[in-house]
Amino acid sequence: CKKWLVDEDHDPSNLTPDDYYTLPGHADAAIAAAYDRTRFFAGGAGIFANNFSMLEMPTGTAKTETGQNTDLNNLLGLSYNGDNVFVLNWWTSLYQVIAQTNLVLDRVPAIKMDDAKKKQVLGEAQFLRAWSYFYLVRLYGDVPLLTTSVLKATDAMVYAGRTSKDSIYNQVVTDLKNAEASGLSWTDASGRASLGAVKSLLAEVYLTMAGYPLNKGKAYYQLAADKANEVITSGKFSLFTDYNSLHDESQENMGEQIFEIQFQASVANNGNQPLLLPNFKDVSAYGTEVGSTTPTLTFFNSFEPGDKRTADRQGFFYTSYYDGGSGALKALGAPYIYKHFDIGANGTAGKPGTANSGLNWMNIRYAQVLLTYAEAQNETDAGLSQGAVNALKLIRDRAGLVTGTLGSYNQASFRDAVWKERWHELCYEGVTWFDMVRLKKAYKESTNSFEGFVGHKLPESGATLQAKHLLFPLPTLEMQNNPNLRPQNDGYPGV
Amino acid sequence: QNRPISGKVTDAKDGTPLPGVSVQVKGQNTGATTDINGSFTISAVPGATLTFTHTGYEGFQVKVGEQESLNVQLQLSKGSMSEVVVIGYGTARKKDLTGSVGSVKASQLQERPAASVNEALSGRIPGVQVNTNSGRPGGQTSIRIRGFSSINSSNNPLYVVDGVYIPIGNQTLNSNSIDYINPNDIASVEVLKDASGTAIYGARGANGVVLITTKRGTNGPAKVTYDGNYSVPTIGPHRVHMLNAQQYLDLEDLAFDNIKVYDPDGWAAGVYSQAVDPRVKRKSLPTMFDANGKPLYNTDWMKESLQHKLSQNHQVGVTGGSDNNLYGLFLNYRDDNGLLLNSYLKRYAARFVLDMKPKEWLRMGGSISYNNQEENLVDQGTGGLNSVRMITESFPFLPVKFADGSWGDNYLYPGAEGGSNPVHIMTDRKYIVDVQSMLGHSYINLLLGNGFDIKSQVGVSLIQRQENQFSGRGLSNISMDQQGTASIFDNREVYWSSETFLNYNKSFHGGDHTVSGLVGLSWQGTNYVSNNSSAQTFSTDFFQYNNLGQGSVQNASSSGKSNFAFNSYFGRVNYGYKQKYMLTVTGRIDGSSKFGDNHKYAFFPSAGLAWNASNEDFLKSNKVISHLKFRVSTGLTGNSEIAPYSSDALLGSYAGIFNNARFSGIGTGRLGNPDLKWEKTAQTDAGIELGVLENRINLEFDAYYRKTTDMLLDAPLPRSTGYSSFFRNVGSMENKGIEIGLKTVNIKTQDFSWNTTFNISFNRNKVLSLATPAPIFSGNPNFLSNTGIIQVGQPVGSFWGLIREGVWTESERAEAAKYSSQSYRGGKPILPGDLKYKDINGDYAINDLDRVIIGNGNPKGWGAFSNDFSYKNFDLLVELSFMYGNDILNQTHHSGEDRTGIANSFSSVLNYYQPGKNDHNTMIATIRDTRAGYVTNVDTRWIEDGSFLRGKNLLLGYNVPAKIYERWKLSKLRVSASVQNFFLKTKFSGNDPEVTTYSNAFAQGQTFFDYPKPTTYMLSINVGL
Repeated sequence: CKKWLVDEDHDPSNLTPDDYYTLPGHADAAIAAAYDRTRFFAGGAGIFANNFSMLEMPTGTAKTETGQNTDLNNLLGLSYNGDNVFVLNWWTSLYQVIAQTNLVLDRVPAIKMDDAKKKQVLGEAQFLRAWSYFYLVRLYGDVPLLTTSVLKATDAMVYAGRTSKDSIYNQVVTDLKNAEASGLSWTDASGRASLGAVKSLLAEVYLTMAGYPLNKGKAYYQLAADKANEVITSGKFSLFTDYNSLHDESQENMGEQIFEIQFQASVANNGNQPLLLPNFKDVSAYGTEVGSTTPTLTFFNSFEPGDKRTADRQGFFYTSYYDGGSGALKALGAPYIYKHFDIGANGTAGKPGTANSGLNWMNIRYAQVLLTYAEAQNETDAGLSQGAVNALKLIRDRAGLVTGTLGSYNQASFRDAVWKERWHELCYEGVTWFDMVRLKKAYKESTNSFEGFVGHKLPESGATLQAKHLLFPLPTLEMQNNPNLRPQNDGYPGV
Repeated sequence: QNRPISGKVTDAKDGTPLPGVSVQVKGQNTGATTDINGSFTISAVPGATLTFTHTGYEGFQVKVGEQESLNVQLQLSKGSMSEVVVIGYGTARKKDLTGSVGSVKASQLQERPAASVNEALSGRIPGVQVNTNSGRPGGQTSIRIRGFSSINSSNNPLYVVDGVYIPIGNQTLNSNSIDYINPNDIASVEVLKDASGTAIYGARGANGVVLITTKRGTNGPAKVTYDGNYSVPTIGPHRVHMLNAQQYLDLEDLAFDNIKVYDPDGWAAGVYSQAVDPRVKRKSLPTMFDANGKPLYNTDWMKESLQHKLSQNHQVGVTGGSDNNLYGLFLNYRDDNGLLLNSYLKRYAARFVLDMKPKEWLRMGGSISYNNQEENLVDQGTGGLNSVRMITESFPFLPVKFADGSWGDNYLYPGAEGGSNPVHIMTDRKYIVDVQSMLGHSYINLLLGNGFDIKSQVGVSLIQRQENQFSGRGLSNISMDQQGTASIFDNREVYWSSETFLNYNKSFHGGDHTVSGLVGLSWQGTNYVSNNSSAQTFSTDFFQYNNLGQGSVQNASSSGKSNFAFNSYFGRVNYGYKQKYMLTVTGRIDGSSKFGDNHKYAFFPSAGLAWNASNEDFLKSNKVISHLKFRVSTGLTGNSEIAPYSSDALLGSYAGIFNNARFSGIGTGRLGNPDLKWEKTAQTDAGIELGVLENRINLEFDAYYRKTTDMLLDAPLPRSTGYSSFFRNVGSMENKGIEIGLKTVNIKTQDFSWNTTFNISFNRNKVLSLATPAPIFSGNPNFLSNTGIIQVGQPVGSFWGLIREGVWTESERAEAAKYSSQSYRGGKPILPGDLKYKDINGDYAINDLDRVIIGNGNPKGWGAFSNDFSYKNFDLLVELSFMYGNDILNQTHHSGEDRTGIANSFSSVLNYYQPGKNDHNTMIATIRDTRAGYVTNVDTRWIEDGSFLRGKNLLLGYNVPAKIYERWKLSKLRVSASVQNFFLKTKFSGNDPEVTTYSNAFAQGQTFFDYPKPTTYMLSINVGL
């Protein structure tokens, strides 16, 4: 009868790792699972908040209109520690992407299939693994480095300790270089990682390595500038002429959008939409409008006069909207984020919304590549160049702002100009926080200048950044479950 | 000279023939058993002594002379200790038991109405904790026998109906397959609590076993019985109280005025310019307010949400039989209309039983039942703006419907959180659970002679369950965004079992030694399939869930299938010596497909010993002590209730999106564990049974210790692996407790009698070890933050939160300001009027490090106290139930109290902090617009004492005298009137302290707006033909 029991022990509804990854189609299914995991940006972090807000709350550019989420409040008040659910979710989610990419990299090579296609799938996996580790190392510092699949609970890697930041960055660069050579096309309208995405990410990695904490300096600014320049000179990407195209569902995965987190209504809704709406002001088809993440007034007011990015419903903000999403226009009394605003879901004049958003979440934009190039080039031996000024000018032209000539800048003033531009152009895209850390600088709106990260007061909460905030704490739960992770990052309560 | 003697054995009281009576010639091995007519034939020499023994009856001896026939009447044994109870794979006299078994008979079950077996058991048996956690028909019960044994596996007992196991798994909506058994069909319920009784159920005995015996046929001319009742629910003894229209509007004005206090910067910057002054706003809402801004309506939403509809229950039984065939047919119709609008449970049930004796040595029979149940759950959607929440949160200044016929919903009031009113929701939302279940059972029993018989039984349970949901296009925050939603979830669970066992039953040396036992084998299988379809965006509400294809958006459908099987061997030996010493040894070898390939089988033994001291010579003639028994038992049981395939590694299903279309993904799922095995619970029980003054006072006392080891824990893994957890056997917990049951006959005279039963139970649970030092935050719902914690050294069911110390007062302004730089008020400064928390670590930040265990949902003690009086033909029953030491985590304080001004609040918010007025004695923050920053956390303000004393049932009955009913050719006529839940004494501020709105294992006492519990008035009639 033992045989009978063993025979009954076969799940007809789920596959096991032993009986899959054999046919060409399985390679695509495996990488599709990795892309699915990237949607954690819109994953829940307790009531009325999603994970994306973690990178906005401590920057001073954002606040919340709902007081219900303790973890969100703690991010805003800089009183978070390793128990914070956002801190746990980012860790968990990024390692889930990594586990899936490891599975692809372990299992797809043995599949009998077209070699070029196989190489591309592996390249995508390498890109996504690098993308994940790049977030991890910037958020948490030294982290466990797993590059093969864990298939058994007895695997020694289950309780992996922390690997140095340098090694993590090396892995990121190695993966991205391999992905670069994997035969991916420059662009990919389907939403998969493209060569453009690989190179753009690599440029950002080099730029980050040049600054804090690795401080690799000039050589890496050069690498960043060169890599960004490859993207620019490829001619495959361009800025949209208007800002509304950034959140237009018909222009996804093209033009300025180099890499996006994919959403599609009724497959996987972009759940960030109702969170970004003003708190109970009835401006959309959504029944719940949360105001989970909204701009701080000080940041909104720090844009230069005439900056089109602050023009109501034409740039990154809106200060008025249609009643119920499609009725009479009404003033809202405060700015809200328009950069991610899905008109189809929320509604627009005379056209009620669907309350069902499939709008992608932007992750790497051409504007970021331009500014990375401008910033990096300015720090190289060759120094400030016309190309760098042109890159900045492209951004400012679209905003309707005047840009100085090459001669009007020195290295310091150009550096300052690019930083400000990054703050204002790349706000609410999960970029600003990492800029603050790698530069160890914060933008002080009241003086329109930069000051040291440590000691910077967030304008509305009054909370003050300390040295410990350069890293997030490791999740308490993770440290309890894996003693090899000790000690906790400096300044946070130990476990 | 041996000669045949034949005769008949009957019950001394009612003269019914007694089958199965053992007849023996004293001092010889010769024996016989009475047949179905109570007849026997035995051969004996004149002058021999015949002994008659039968379970439940006093033994009888007679010396035979020359006669050829002999009729014997047996007396029922005195007192409850002599009753016959059902045990695993057999029956036993209660006084022969070595274990702790609780028993409830049909007559008790009939005292109060119950929609389910669990409801019927509530308060009846010490050690069995039944919570009826909702006022909805069917009650949403939870049952725990002697506490908790498991964290990730089930804590529900095993139910066995007439020998057929009812599957424990696949609970939905807090209901279990057992809820589809018609309680009116039950003849008796036995609860096996300790290892001596449960170990024979091996891997499924760890949480206790509930044995249900259904009514069978009766010998003699056909009897027809009819039991019917009509009842009406009314609002229960407790209810929540909300602000009335004017109170709400005054507070809203105050909330607006306080913006400048709590967000001066935002106020100055004009952020609130559009959140217009409510006094101005109301002027543009002529359907709600008059020209002066005074409300046109003042609605009590609780009142509007109730219905007082007649409910009815009718049960007809036809039983009879002659000679060798007994039959019974039982029909039931139940139409239960809940207290909340449109909530109902309807049931049609039919059952047929047949017991036959075609040959002297052959018995066979079986039963088949069909049950059709339809229920509308109107309180679904906990956490969202569902019906029960909107009873509290609907604005009192809105009408149910405006004059033009449109609904008065919160979302129509600018600045509100939204939501529809409860009447609207309960009208336009349906959650129909449609269940059809069949339970079939057949047996064949061969009497092999010499004390041996063999029984083989086959059981089948088929449960087809359909959950149909529909939410209309107009329900704000439920289905308005989607323009209507509808779904159908269909699932079917088929269980079969085949069990065969050999019994042996014999006494030696004139009954000095009795030996009985059995060995058997069992095969069982379960097959479960499900499919789910849903759609949204409908052009009309007309279709409800009946035409999903009409939805413009078709959601991905899903389906699943799983099987599991058991293969088991079991045995039991009972030995008794002179009815003084009893020994029971049981064992079961269980094999299950669910476990790892290395551990498919396990062995579960138990042993029990009893000493019937009252049968010793020194007590036999004692005038005071009529019964005294000591018993101890110990043994091992298991818990296997994890999902099938849990030991196997598997891949998960994902949805990639390429080209804006779903692309099926297959990826990491779960790590396998070939070593996965049973969760083991070792239990030791010691009990004393005492009967005093001819058993007029009966006391049963039990103490137990249960320790679960090798827990089936979804143990955490470092998440850097990509996995959060995997199933392994690790960790342990213990339960220890005391149970006391007392039954007394206080007064017994010709015309008047007064009986009392009292029981009380105490259980203490403690987690002894877990997989890692990390506490587990699961088993409780997450609400704002983790609400529950499982921690080593602490009991399960613990609540986790901050300690609210009150409100910062004006004199503490400077101290409060120290918390501003790490503000817990959405980044805004902490001011007088804000909530004040205990800063455990003194770091001027209020965060997770300041959270502690703030309560526990499980009671320290619980029980029931019931008195019944009878005077001539009248009887009166007063049944009380109580619980103490249990905390409620009343999460309704979050939106009903902490957060004000965007929905209605509890009237307790009127006690908000006002400087100089209630400086040191309020827990309510100053009222302000939520956008100006407010504070809410799972904290001690939400913890309430859930102790209660409930008037569970008050019943007055009248048995119509025979001379009257015989005129109508009836054999019985009884009428009664009763009130259930007739009073409730508690400090709890909500509707009812016996509550949970979650299905999580440790969420007892956790509520976020519940179905209020009614007081029910009932008239019943019982007729016999």
